[in-house]
Amino acid sequence: MKEAYIVSSVRTPGCRRGKGALAQTRPEELLVQALDAVIDRAPGVEKDVVEDVMTGCAFPEAEQGLNIGRVAAQMAKFPDSTCGATVNRFCSAGLEAIALQAMRIKAGWCDVAIGSGVESMSIVPMGGNMPRPHPEWAKENPDVYMSMGVTAENVATRYNVSREMMDEFAFHSQMKASNAKANKLYKEIVPTKATKYVQKGDTWVKESFIQDFDDGIRESTTAEGLGKLRAVFSATGSVTAGNSSQTTDGAAASLLMSGEAVEKYGIKPIAKIVAYAVAGCRADEMGVGPAYAVPKALALAGLKVEDIGLWELNEAFASQCIYAMQQLGLYDQRELWESTSDKRIINVNGGAIALGHPLGCTGAKLCAQLMNEMRERGVKYGVESMCIGGGMGAAAVFELCE
Amino acid sequence: MQRRIRKVAVIGSGIMGGGIAALLAGAGVEVLLLDIVPFDLTDDEKKDPKARNRMVETGFNAALKSKPPLFYDKKNDAPMISIGNLDDDFDKLAECDWIVEVVVENLKIKQQLFKRIEGIRKAGSIVSSNTSGIPLKDMSADLSEEMCQHFLGTHFFNPVRYMHLLELIPGEKTTPEVLDFVANFGEVMLGKGIVWAKDTPNFIGNRIGIHGIGKAMQVMLEDGLSIPEVDAIFGAPMGRPKTAIFKTSDLVGLDTMSHVSSNTYDLCVDDEERDTFIVPDFVKKMVENKQLGNKTKGGFYKKELTPDWKWARKVIDPTTGEYVDLDRPTFPCLDAAKKCATTAEKLQTIVYGDDKGAKFAWKVSAAACIYSANRIPEISDTIVEIDNAMKWGYNFEMGPFEQWDAIGVEKSVAKMEADGMAVPENVKKMLASGATTFYKLEDGKKMFFDFASNGYKALQTNEKAIVLDDLRANGKVVKTVPSCSLIDLGDGVYCIEFHSKMNALNGEMLDFMKEAGKYVEENGVGMVIGNQAGGMPGAFSAGGDLAFMLGLAKDGKFEEIDTFIKGVHEGIMGTKYAPYPVVAAPYGLALGGGCEICLSADRIVAHTDLFMGLVEIGAGLVPGGGGMIHLWRNYIESKPGAGKLTDHAGFFIQAFMCVAQAKVSSSAADARKNGFLRPTDRIVANKDNLIGEAKKEVLKMVDDGYAPPRKKKTEVFGREALGMIWAEMLNMSAGGYITPHMEAIAKKIAVCMAGGDVPKGSLVSEEHLMTLEREAFVDLWKTENTQKMAANIIKTGKPLFL
Repeated sequence: MKEAYIVSSVRTPGCRRGKGALAQTRPEELLVQALDAVIDRAPGVEKDVVEDVMTGCAFPEAEQGLNIGRVAAQMAKFPDSTCGATVNRFCSAGLEAIALQAMRIKAGWCDVAIGSGVESMSIVPMGGNMPRPHPEWAKENPDVYMSMGVTAENVATRYNVSREMMDEFAFHSQMKASNAKANKLYKEIVPTKATKYVQKGDTWVKESFIQDFDDGIRESTTAEGLGKLRAVFSATGSVTAGNSSQTTDGAAASLLMSGEAVEKYGIKPIAKIVAYAVAGCRADEMGVGPAYAVPKALALAGLKVEDIGLWELNEAFASQCIYAMQQLGLYDQRELWESTSDKRIINVNGGAIALGHPLGCTGAKLCAQLMNEMRERGVKYGVESMCIGGGMGAAAVFELCE
Repeated sequence: MQRRIRKVAVIGSGIMGGGIAALLAGAGVEVLLLDIVPFDLTDDEKKDPKARNRMVETGFNAALKSKPPLFYDKKNDAPMISIGNLDDDFDKLAECDWIVEVVVENLKIKQQLFKRIEGIRKAGSIVSSNTSGIPLKDMSADLSEEMCQHFLGTHFFNPVRYMHLLELIPGEKTTPEVLDFVANFGEVMLGKGIVWAKDTPNFIGNRIGIHGIGKAMQVMLEDGLSIPEVDAIFGAPMGRPKTAIFKTSDLVGLDTMSHVSSNTYDLCVDDEERDTFIVPDFVKKMVENKQLGNKTKGGFYKKELTPDWKWARKVIDPTTGEYVDLDRPTFPCLDAAKKCATTAEKLQTIVYGDDKGAKFAWKVSAAACIYSANRIPEISDTIVEIDNAMKWGYNFEMGPFEQWDAIGVEKSVAKMEADGMAVPENVKKMLASGATTFYKLEDGKKMFFDFASNGYKALQTNEKAIVLDDLRANGKVVKTVPSCSLIDLGDGVYCIEFHSKMNALNGEMLDFMKEAGKYVEENGVGMVIGNQAGGMPGAFSAGGDLAFMLGLAKDGKFEEIDTFIKGVHEGIMGTKYAPYPVVAAPYGLALGGGCEICLSADRIVAHTDLFMGLVEIGAGLVPGGGGMIHLWRNYIESKPGAGKLTDHAGFFIQAFMCVAQAKVSSSAADARKNGFLRPTDRIVANKDNLIGEAKKEVLKMVDDGYAPPRKKKTEVFGREALGMIWAEMLNMSAGGYITPHMEAIAKKIAVCMAGGDVPKGSLVSEEHLMTLEREAFVDLWKTENTQKMAANIIKTGKPLFL
């Protein structure tokens, strides 16, 4: 099999649903800017060499429908010859898009392609505009439609993840993100042109501005403050808005190439994709997915947990992220993830609790974060992983190019 | 020129000012709410418009947050109110058609304010004061002739939305045109009951009210009664609100009460009962200690948290001023009164009893009667104004003179004389003239005894204010059974009046309604479904008679329940498709079956204070009288037929939640928002006019040419609704937000409202929907949990969540 390389990898900032900076910017426009940037950051590569754009999106309907992968490619002025598709595996959709392109390259079916992800949770709500569970199936087996928050509660209660552990974990995520934001560590961010409509008297004026930071980070968060929040998914629960991921708008993209293409365009790639795996689990505790997907991907890569120098474990909920870390033997080594530790290698610049989780975009977004930090640190192996609604996990292993 | 009220300024944003502003906004009037610029601003803040409006903003926010709500519909009414301060926004008063002053009770401040207003107000605009105690003549002494012609007292009662009384106090020079206009505006637009008062301290309601409280305290201390003993007597058994004397004081605030008391003492130097207005020492001490009542979380009564986290109820012992444990005292006279059917009989039993409590009740009531009679003509020309003020402003079931009639005027006067009480001359004169009651019916007209002419006079009433009791007394009852009657409203319109306990629906009523329907079909042009039960807010109908069906269920007679519901459906649909218009006139509680009756009417004419909902889930049931069918119809048919609905869920979820969460509206406006009222249904501000307005509506429909609704199919969400509900119910149950049996009921509600397992957008027949409803209803009665839930609500009045 051939190798598949990631040549450039970018993301827009992640901004809060509803009140955030990107709330009134159409998802196509976010995606177009990620597509533009990924080409800009690959000197010598023109848009016309890209064969296909694949876009992960968890709710590919309404403003995100009509095959947003193709629509955005056209809006970004890729030629007609550049194709486009939308792919959905919920929270891993963005990674799935990258993996699908990597597999096509590895199979020799393609040389240059983009894997991306987009989600405007402000514009298309989580669950979609018209959720329609199958009546007879849902009557007997509703688990597959279960609210993500309830599954997070299940993980917390079944595996004894305490409220204190979750709040502490959430606090560290916020502190890591605050540090990264202050020190401008998110080099993968594309300053993004956004629009908002401002009411002036009786009319609305469309205003444009540039957004270049994640606006959900809360520098002032304290463990005490998190402790005061009320559970939102259960009357007796422990999952709160503070120890769950934020619902966010954003887009991200990676440009992938075969070895031949890398040579042809004279580009130094960032990393190659070693392995990608998905693993299934019970739908009502979907958060445990990474605990199964990560070992599967590592086995494919012939690697062990200890070999991995950098982790991006999506923080859908603190409960499930902590559980996955426990299963991987990482949680008890607190120096690997605490904000105060220099040795930290897990979610080093914060995770979705601080930065947000734009569903279908997340897989592509974490890839951009991972690529940036692997290159910055010179880490050989990096892993990204996330849990997936319906009861799954996905994980990918990347190897830094020398 | 035609006078109109388009914009009103309310000056003062305290609890009264905020309440008046909310009421006006609810009536669709633009309001400018003003208050002073705070005195304590820093130099920077003095330039900050927000800081300058801090006072009014605080007041406005308090009005928005108040409970029970002062607004009918916060979202739509609050934007009618703009706020400002008396320095920067004073010029805006020039735009106002009416300026209401509700500032602090201080003559100098009020005088200065009115002088300023005089300089800016537009000619012809109305200016009024909501003072409760300061004489108008003092406030207006310095004002121009033209302003005085437009100046009057408009005294609202707290809470403004809920208290029916509006005392109007004409100034010496106020023109009749202004007085008539304000009275009509208050009655029709603001829904108030108008009482004409004279310019005397504390006017009518508070003068009589504070005397009653003062007297009760005085006699309590003399005779050595406890506070709970006094409240046990002067509450429900005597036709008074449950809050009686002392809980009412806690509600009003001991400071306010003391202020009204001493104000009366200071200003009414010739009052024969002046000593009653001396605030007792133990109350003075409480005011000094800031034990002011509910607003300080402790007054005569308070709740204390015990070390084991339970609430302990405490009450002040007036002899020591310390809190002691609260017990529930009773007296033989009260126990005897419990067995009486009417309030009049209860009153007689209590005041003529011979235990300690009865003697107390007699002394205080007799004093109130005497005091009231002595106040005519000082504070009011007639007994009617005093009775209305006490009924509307203090929620007494009867005013002092009605109460006097109830205990027998001759009998009580004899007892007063025997006890050495001074019987008022005007009452003696009345008895001497041969008249033995203050009120009577003569040729079907209600008459009152007029002291001035020493003879009876006809009661002046608004034509729309139909009083069913008067019609009853006039022999206008066409048919009657113990729980309801058919009353002839005139002009071919007949009213079905419920009169069961809480007007709960029962089998007898259903049979009666069919019979009454037949009668109206043969003899009339249309029907009103309405009644005038007392209480605040009162009950149009609080639901269905569960005990009857629980009995059937316990005996396993499910066939009979099925037959019964078939009968209910026949009755409801019979009313719906009757060949004459049917207008329901709900007010107060319209729950369960009471709501369903309204939903099946051609039109609803509702009072603003409407608490409507399909609450059957709390009793373990689904609505069984077509409520779900008609609520869904209101949702799906409120759009033009040509509009194509892609997402039925946007409508379905809201309608479903109304029933599954037993939502009860907080006002008629809120009921409209939740789909209980249709766009064609009307909201009436004045409860007294409700039956009259409903009758008017019937006649208008007849006049316009009436055809009954045609039978047509209903568009439903069908099976796609079910998928959504099954999935969401898992989240609710997993989160512990719903109990298992409630979940089962909610799912049945979903099936009924979705029209069952049919494709999305199907058109289904009413019969299909009725079958679903009936099946769900009967199935639930078969479950032990529903039987337990129903039994619990019958026994405790509270839902049991299983």
